[in-house]
Amino acid sequence: MTTTLEAPPRKAPRARSRGTGGGRGRREILLLMLPALVPVLVFSVGPLLYGIYLAFTDARSGRNAEVSFTGLENFGDLLGDGDFWSSFRIGLIWAVSVTVLQFLASLGLALLLNQNLRLRGLARVLALVPWAMPPVVIGLMWRLVYHPNAGILNATLQDLGLISHNVDWLNDFSIALPAVIVVGVWTGMPQTTVVLLAALQGVPKELYEAVHVDGAGTWRRFWNITLPQLRPVIVAITSLDFVWNINQFGLVYVLTQGGPGGRTRLPMLFAYEEAFRYGFFGYAAALGVAIVIVVLAVLGVYLWRQMREAD
Amino acid sequence: MRRSVKTAMAVAVAAVLGLSAGCGSEGGGGAAGSGSGESVKLRFLSLAWQKESLAANKALVEEWNKANPKIQVEYVQGSWDNVNDQLVTAFEAGDPPDVIHNDSPALAGFAGRGYLSDLSKTLPAELKSDIPQAAWDTVTFSDGKGGQGVYGVPFLQESQVILANKKLLEEAKVRIPTTEEPWTWDEFSEIAKKLTKPGKTFGAAWALKSPVNRVLNLSLNFGGTFFQDNGGKTTVKVGPEEKEVLQRIHDQLHKDKSADPSALGMGGADPLPAFFAGKYALLPAGVFMRQQVVEQAPEGFEWITIPPLKGQTAQQGAVSQTLSVAADSKHQEEAMKFISFFLNGPNQAKLAKGDWLVPTSQSAAKDPSLTTEENGWAVAAASAKNLVVAPYLKVNGFDEWKSKVATPTLQQYFANKISLDEAAKKLVDEGNKVLERYQR
Repeated sequence: MTTTLEAPPRKAPRARSRGTGGGRGRREILLLMLPALVPVLVFSVGPLLYGIYLAFTDARSGRNAEVSFTGLENFGDLLGDGDFWSSFRIGLIWAVSVTVLQFLASLGLALLLNQNLRLRGLARVLALVPWAMPPVVIGLMWRLVYHPNAGILNATLQDLGLISHNVDWLNDFSIALPAVIVVGVWTGMPQTTVVLLAALQGVPKELYEAVHVDGAGTWRRFWNITLPQLRPVIVAITSLDFVWNINQFGLVYVLTQGGPGGRTRLPMLFAYEEAFRYGFFGYAAALGVAIVIVVLAVLGVYLWRQMREAD
Repeated sequence: MRRSVKTAMAVAVAAVLGLSAGCGSEGGGGAAGSGSGESVKLRFLSLAWQKESLAANKALVEEWNKANPKIQVEYVQGSWDNVNDQLVTAFEAGDPPDVIHNDSPALAGFAGRGYLSDLSKTLPAELKSDIPQAAWDTVTFSDGKGGQGVYGVPFLQESQVILANKKLLEEAKVRIPTTEEPWTWDEFSEIAKKLTKPGKTFGAAWALKSPVNRVLNLSLNFGGTFFQDNGGKTTVKVGPEEKEVLQRIHDQLHKDKSADPSALGMGGADPLPAFFAGKYALLPAGVFMRQQVVEQAPEGFEWITIPPLKGQTAQQGAVSQTLSVAADSKHQEEAMKFISFFLNGPNQAKLAKGDWLVPTSQSAAKDPSLTTEENGWAVAAASAKNLVVAPYLKVNGFDEWKSKVATPTLQQYFANKISLDEAAKKLVDEGNKVLERYQR
């Protein structure tokens, strides 16, 4: 470690003096990056490769467990694992609906916050609050909101006369997933809103003035100016949101632990249970790899289509 | 949110860290060596959660620490909700707590994977003879290498009783059962019907949010074992014996309409407010529920504890709370010493009172405060005689069968979404597929 730490200052000035030199400079840049790269390699890339390796073994928990290479067996099992595919379906429903609803709600909020309202500063700060909370705290908080007997949601709905008896939001087979999706939307809104708001502020005023002169209404302005201008940002943030959402773990783990009867068991939760509840590390690693492949494929298609349309 | 960018591989990554740490743990150490003169530090993972029980546990640890300056015990708080996940990671990392509080269904898996110490050689004779063999059976498992071992000391047991609203029973003039002459299941359904007043009172309320262990334990009333051994291979079995209790509960819910279907999603103390309000006359529950009743019941509410029901027998599957020693613990001997202090007769009596459960210790069971008529203690104590080891305790992979197959299937069956035959088929077909993974 000490040598790598000493190296940069000694070589740095030379690298700069030679300016944008050829191979030599690149090697020195690499050297400069080394201190930052070491932790990445050790703590990120290494375990990642090991995880991929595990996916091809029958690694299990146990003091005396012997690990042997099994090739594609885990992936074969996975194709026939109905529980995983139903969990995957739930994951897709979750990720797509959360991403879409999040986007629509955030776009609305961002448009609102972009108006010249009173107390706009305060409102913008408040919109960020969910971002400041860790998923576990959000989960606990919403569990209280949804509590069948003591929750504020049931109490409010009862007072308004909308329901006659308390609903057990997180334990009902058909309501649990929608209830969790609502929390997911709430949780992810701040960063989507902030990004969209920033993009809105970057739309040149002249464009609006121009269409205003042409006599376009609010809706036309939104459709023909705002949306096309936001397009790259929308593509970026929805793809990121999708990845974040399909990989969501902590929130749902705290809210329902995948229950009732597996109705909210997202793929990540499923993989977690395989590894840490039942002890099949190899299989769980294979699930991880499979999920990465599917997510990359879905994103690839989406981004490719967006790019093509943009051209 | 930000953190989850990388969760795609987090499982694999965590598994890697866990495994590599597990491999390198041989030389790792406890806090202090066990050399002469130096004091030893033990970590005790406790899952006590009820107020009185917490107090009893902590008081005992304190008492021990005062009397044994050389073996200091650190109380570590755990939770029933996630103790098994926590333990898997701790075991794999090679740094588990020395003394582990858990329950017997969890031990089979851990024992088979070599995480727990076999205590059969190190148990002091006194502790061994104080606890009956039936209780030891609940903690005796295969060691995963063809042998058998004792992987915990069982100390508190739970039996299923029925809590009843005394006033409603008296109004309906039904026979109050005794331990010698308990209600049969037939009598129970008749009485539940009699107690039901449409729109006002349900005869019974089955809080079956986690239905599997309850149903399996009760099914022994009719000899329903749910698992069978086919020449060394365990398979799921749902025949006429297993269907009895399932069918009877289902009948109460959907045929007799004497049990409230909206109680199905409830767990723990959820049905109590309605019970106190006279909306439910009978509340099948574990004996520990008595504490919640005593704590929460409004002034003047009268209740009694109905002894376990009888089918062909009154036998129920026993689940014991246990203390085990981690195989990776550096202080096996000291841990055993602490356990034998913690679970001696007088101390078990304190713990049993704290958790409102039945002690396994025969000397503790004689404690007058555990046999008094008050608050149903006499019924609880007598119910211990019907506890036998449930077959599912020995099934490797039971946990996965329970959470992936049995829980959703039973929930759907009780909610009247599938028929009994469909449920039985699911339990068997999907169940056997799960069990197969563990028998490769």
